[in-house]
Amino acid sequence: MGPIAYYLATLVVYFFIFAILTWGLNIQFGSAGILNFTYITFFAIGAYFTGVAMMARPTTDSNMRYILGLNWPFIPSLLLGALAAGLLGLLVGLVALRRLRSDYLAIVTVSVGAIVYDFVNVNTSAFNGGDGIAGVPYPFNDQLNLDPNTYIFFYVGLTGFVMLVLGVVAFRLYKSPLGRTLRAIREDSDVAAAFGKDTYRFRMIAMVIGCLYAGIAGGLLIGFISALNPGGWTAGETFIIWAALLVGGRGNNWGALLGAFLVPVLFVEATRFLPEIPGHPVLIAAIRNMIVGGLLIGVLWFRPEGILPERKARFPFVGSTQPRKDAQLDS
Amino acid sequence: MSLLFLSFGFGLITASVLALAAVGLSLQFGVTNYINFAYGEFLTIGAYLAWTLNHWLHVNVWLSMVIATLLTGVFGVVTNQFLLRPFSKKGKPLLFLLIVTFGLSLFLSNLVLAIWGPDFVNLDVPRQQPFSVGPMLFTANQLAIIAIAVVVMLALHLLLTRTEIGKAMRAMSDSVDLAQVSGIDTDRITSFTWLVSGCLAGLAGIVLAINLTSFQPAFGGEFLFVIFAAVILGGVGSPYGAILGALVIGLATEMSGVFLDSAYKNDVAFALLVLMLLLRPQGLIRMAGKAA
Repeated sequence: MGPIAYYLATLVVYFFIFAILTWGLNIQFGSAGILNFTYITFFAIGAYFTGVAMMARPTTDSNMRYILGLNWPFIPSLLLGALAAGLLGLLVGLVALRRLRSDYLAIVTVSVGAIVYDFVNVNTSAFNGGDGIAGVPYPFNDQLNLDPNTYIFFYVGLTGFVMLVLGVVAFRLYKSPLGRTLRAIREDSDVAAAFGKDTYRFRMIAMVIGCLYAGIAGGLLIGFISALNPGGWTAGETFIIWAALLVGGRGNNWGALLGAFLVPVLFVEATRFLPEIPGHPVLIAAIRNMIVGGLLIGVLWFRPEGILPERKARFPFVGSTQPRKDAQLDS
Repeated sequence: MSLLFLSFGFGLITASVLALAAVGLSLQFGVTNYINFAYGEFLTIGAYLAWTLNHWLHVNVWLSMVIATLLTGVFGVVTNQFLLRPFSKKGKPLLFLLIVTFGLSLFLSNLVLAIWGPDFVNLDVPRQQPFSVGPMLFTANQLAIIAIAVVVMLALHLLLTRTEIGKAMRAMSDSVDLAQVSGIDTDRITSFTWLVSGCLAGLAGIVLAINLTSFQPAFGGEFLFVIFAAVILGGVGSPYGAILGALVIGLATEMSGVFLDSAYKNDVAFALLVLMLLLRPQGLIRMAGKAA
């Protein structure tokens, strides 16, 4: 098993995890027009809760402090992580989704992100503060007992399976009545409300489902790298997922998939091989983030619909003897 | 009891810094009708410009602050002229502009990081012993911060009520269309608003840097949600509301230190923000059409 194969397998796992994340953001923003500017926080909450559920209770002489420590198997831990992320999404939605302009939700998400980040850093007894938690057991490896080089291929399969399931859900959701309603609300919430749709409830559903996706992706990540600290979920990470969705094509699940490959995997991995500049350790990371920020703006200017644009629904005229094939219902 | 007075004094200083920042954000929101998520970075840029003028170009520290304030204002005008105005002229949805300013915030914070590096720096203002004013303790710098805030707020009040351009800003804030049909050059007023908003951000960044004694590239962005709390509390788009909001948030965060661990003082601002959004989302001073 060569190091190249190991490295490629790592990239595949990251790609699967980012695909789940980008789909989740697509459900929130692409379908429902919800501006979640701290999407990575829900990912982190999912990861932390999955992690501390799997880890054993910290001993008194342990140098880490964290809550829970349930020693649970992976599946229930992952569900707990997803649930925690979804619950936080619900709370944010309760404050900001009700009859307020979309800017307010964005403001609340930015503030929630800052507060959660602060809280995790300051309150060391929750998730071990700035040092973060480490030593999360590898999922299922207590039964499998694989060596790391073989285990990674098992993990590719595991994340691939979860990604496939969530992908099918995302695609079906888009075509479902729920997906149609969300897009109607996104295009014009007053019209949707006039047709009797409870816009608050529907947007809340999209908010929570998107956060569940983020939580599951977080759980899968911490199962893979077995550690997480606040440095791993700064605002910059949220931008990368946003850039992935906008570059790939918001509102289009294939676009989200393509974006998850192009931005977080291809672009971010490629910059990893740039040489460090002596005496300026953060320069490469800073330039990388500047490019991501510029990408976000550039895509909106030059190709706001992304590489794979959302396909507008086409409806033949009902009642006409000769249905017009070219008729379409643009927003 | 004396601790309460003491923290009241600190609250006044925080409120002064916050008022400068919150009024700048609120004015710009009122006129252009979208939130600038890169506003925190405007504060950072103001402080770093002052530091650079002083340390690299050896300009007198006080003069550096004045020049940096104006330069940040110019930066606001340029940002609007070459980035935000073209986007809003394209007729794209409001969501786009928010994502653009959001992307801009990442770009700017990392630009600052790339230019000035991650280390803490501080403006070379003389360190002084605090002296007591009644039951409160202030250094001369802190009294200067309060004085600057009061003078600037008065000047803004005169600008908004006594001058043609200020009245035009208020008219645009009420309704851009009505302002336009009554002959107001909305592009010019928008540019002027960005100038004022940028200057206020730069000045707020500088006095925040003085108050904190040292700063690093993330410090403006970290302050952003406290500014949001003040703006929303006061009523989005209303400059007088922003002053009121800044006063409430500034006093509440500092005085909470008497009862709570001071590590949680930002959480107090956050709790007030959430409470306000639940109970009275239009803010203390209501502006039509900005909240719902």
